[in-house]
Amino acid sequence: MRVVIAEDLFLLRDGLVRLLEAHGFELAAAVDSAPGLLAALLEHKPDVAIVDVRLPPTFTDDGLRAAIEARREVPGLPVLVLSQYVEQLYARELLADGGGAVGYLLKDRVFNDDQFTDAVRAVAAGGTVMDTEVVSKLLGRRARDEPLARLSAREREVLELMAEGRSNSAIAQRLFVTEKAVSKHSTSIFTKLDLAPSDDDNRRVLAVLAYLNG
Amino acid sequence: MSVITAYRYLAGYGSAAAWELLAALVAACVIAAAARRLTGKDARTPRGRLRAVGWDAALVALSVVLAGALGWRAGLALAVVGAAAVIVVFRPRLVRPATAAVLIATGLAGFALTRTASFGYYFGDGVRQAYGVAGVGGPGLTFYLLLPQALGFLLLGGWVGWRSARSAPAGRRLLGRLAEPEFAARPWALLLVPVTVIAAAMLVPNLWFGAFPAGIIWPVLLTGATGLFIRAAPGRAAAASVLGLIALGLAGVYLGTTYSSAGWHLPLNPAGYVEYGAIDVTSQPMADLAVIEGLVFAGVGLLLVPRAAPGLLRYVGVAGYRDLAQRVQRLTESRAVAVDTAAADLRRLERDLHDGAQARLVALGMHLRAVEKLIPTNPDAALALVSEARDTSARALTELRELVRGVHPPVLADRGLADAIRALALDSPLRVRADVDLPGRLPAPIETACYFAVAEILTNAAKHSGAREACITAEHRDGALRMVVTDFGVGGADAAAGTGLTGVERRLATFDGVLAVSSPPGGPTMVVIEVPCALGSAAVSS
Repeated sequence: MRVVIAEDLFLLRDGLVRLLEAHGFELAAAVDSAPGLLAALLEHKPDVAIVDVRLPPTFTDDGLRAAIEARREVPGLPVLVLSQYVEQLYARELLADGGGAVGYLLKDRVFNDDQFTDAVRAVAAGGTVMDTEVVSKLLGRRARDEPLARLSAREREVLELMAEGRSNSAIAQRLFVTEKAVSKHSTSIFTKLDLAPSDDDNRRVLAVLAYLNG
Repeated sequence: MSVITAYRYLAGYGSAAAWELLAALVAACVIAAAARRLTGKDARTPRGRLRAVGWDAALVALSVVLAGALGWRAGLALAVVGAAAVIVVFRPRLVRPATAAVLIATGLAGFALTRTASFGYYFGDGVRQAYGVAGVGGPGLTFYLLLPQALGFLLLGGWVGWRSARSAPAGRRLLGRLAEPEFAARPWALLLVPVTVIAAAMLVPNLWFGAFPAGIIWPVLLTGATGLFIRAAPGRAAAASVLGLIALGLAGVYLGTTYSSAGWHLPLNPAGYVEYGAIDVTSQPMADLAVIEGLVFAGVGLLLVPRAAPGLLRYVGVAGYRDLAQRVQRLTESRAVAVDTAAADLRRLERDLHDGAQARLVALGMHLRAVEKLIPTNPDAALALVSEARDTSARALTELRELVRGVHPPVLADRGLADAIRALALDSPLRVRADVDLPGRLPAPIETACYFAVAEILTNAAKHSGAREACITAEHRDGALRMVVTDFGVGGADAAAGTGLTGVERRLATFDGVLAVSSPPGGPTMVVIEVPCALGSAAVSS
């Protein structure tokens, strides 16, 4: 699996490269600025890009904007955005095109290399991965809403993990229940929130996120 | 025995059956009203009830005084005192305005008496009259009690009328801009009435309360027009009254010092002498008094200039010094706050770093050192320590993140105030609609202050208002940023009570910004922030 990495701090870039190579990813390019990223993405068309939000030249949200622009040129280009902060505003912008194949994670998540590489693979496969912080803020904001209040505690847990982009089997593993139980919960959630049910993991995640964002 | 008969005896009149009947009627009315007021169930304190009865009594007594000043004609007296009794019994709300009206009428009647004393009485057909505590009916010391009494009645009436008009909606409509607190605090504009009266009397002798009908029509027209002017433009009226007072004073000094027994030949003044305030300048001693009166007028006028007409001072260029001094004081205060806040922020930052991230990094180093030692002998324990070290570093990162968010929020740095407000709206537990129209960037310190102001207000709304929804608008217009945060909660927020908002207000003051809160019980709560600033070039496009 070919990866492009954009990170301006040498130590972090180097660490990411090692981590990914150790997990069998192939490095297409590692760049340190937003213009470099755009060029590398358009040239290499990687399976997935891992992008830091804050990059030169302006050291603001150049990375994010370059990623969104690249996805405009190459629709569906999988991008996993990393940041020291997660902002709902940015999550919204990434999700705006509704195409999936995006991820938005805190940099800290790199510490857990297994989960991190799972997330990279999920994004590369067209999935959507959102940081726990984004999801809990989304849920917190809608906590008082009528349909969400109808969910049981377990259903809320499932919803949260679903919104983070986890598959049914991953959720089952995490909550120590059977996959069948998870799919039962998810059917119930979709009924209660009045969403169209779907067997496709990806579409389900996007539907849930769209609902929470709405 | 009632107030009427008592008063008539004191003033030296005999009694007649009609008077006794009127007195008895009025006494009955007043006693009935008092009984009802003292035992009624209206929401008053005992003190308030007593006060109400006191007003009733004052109105009736003063109406008797007025009837006396009007010459004790049975019909007139019956009308005046009867009207007062009717108001006391049936229209308790009108007691105070009526008292004011009676006082003013009595004052005017007093002036009329002083002016007409030498020409025969205006109302009394030469019979004796009672004016307050003075009998009028021939030469005597009591005559000299007329003018001070009349002035007292007039001033008292003006004051009572002013107070009662301001406390009623209809009165406020009548007063116009005069009912606004800023003018209530500086009632100098009202001086224009006496100034106009004196000035007109100087030009046309016997204008006031002279022969009927001109003696009535001119005063009413002139004071009415002056009153309308005061009501429409109190500021200008105040300035005009001060200037007028000074001019009157100078005119008086001029009159007094140039007096000659030959008199004046003024186009409007065929009488050959001048009425100057309380003085008719008809002889050398009176001319000397006019000089003194003129000096008093001019002195009072000059003293009032800074208070009644500060604009005048600025116009002359003598001084906007008062304004400047105030501005310097405000700047000194806000600078002190700014410096204090900055120092406190730095201390907090230092402490947070020291107790948080720094301590965790030390722990991390110690862990790693321990791991180093454990690896050869006890790899399992080493593994456990490594996982602990990872947790520690994660926690250090979280703390640093929170710290940076408190110093300079990332979205604000990345995108500017508009997107930062949108991000705040998204992060709030309330449903917040953000309507932000800021096509450029503002100066960075102002952006930061405004961001934290909105954050604080939203936090307050989420904590205290019980609202589910809020909205924010922000726009830049006429050289100022204007933001309005409204929540649809229970209201009743007090800006002075919440230290959070006070802090925000102080910080905004550093940029000459202001914050206002409107929060009636039942909501909505609306916080308005205005900061004068320039809008920079267009924001980096996103």
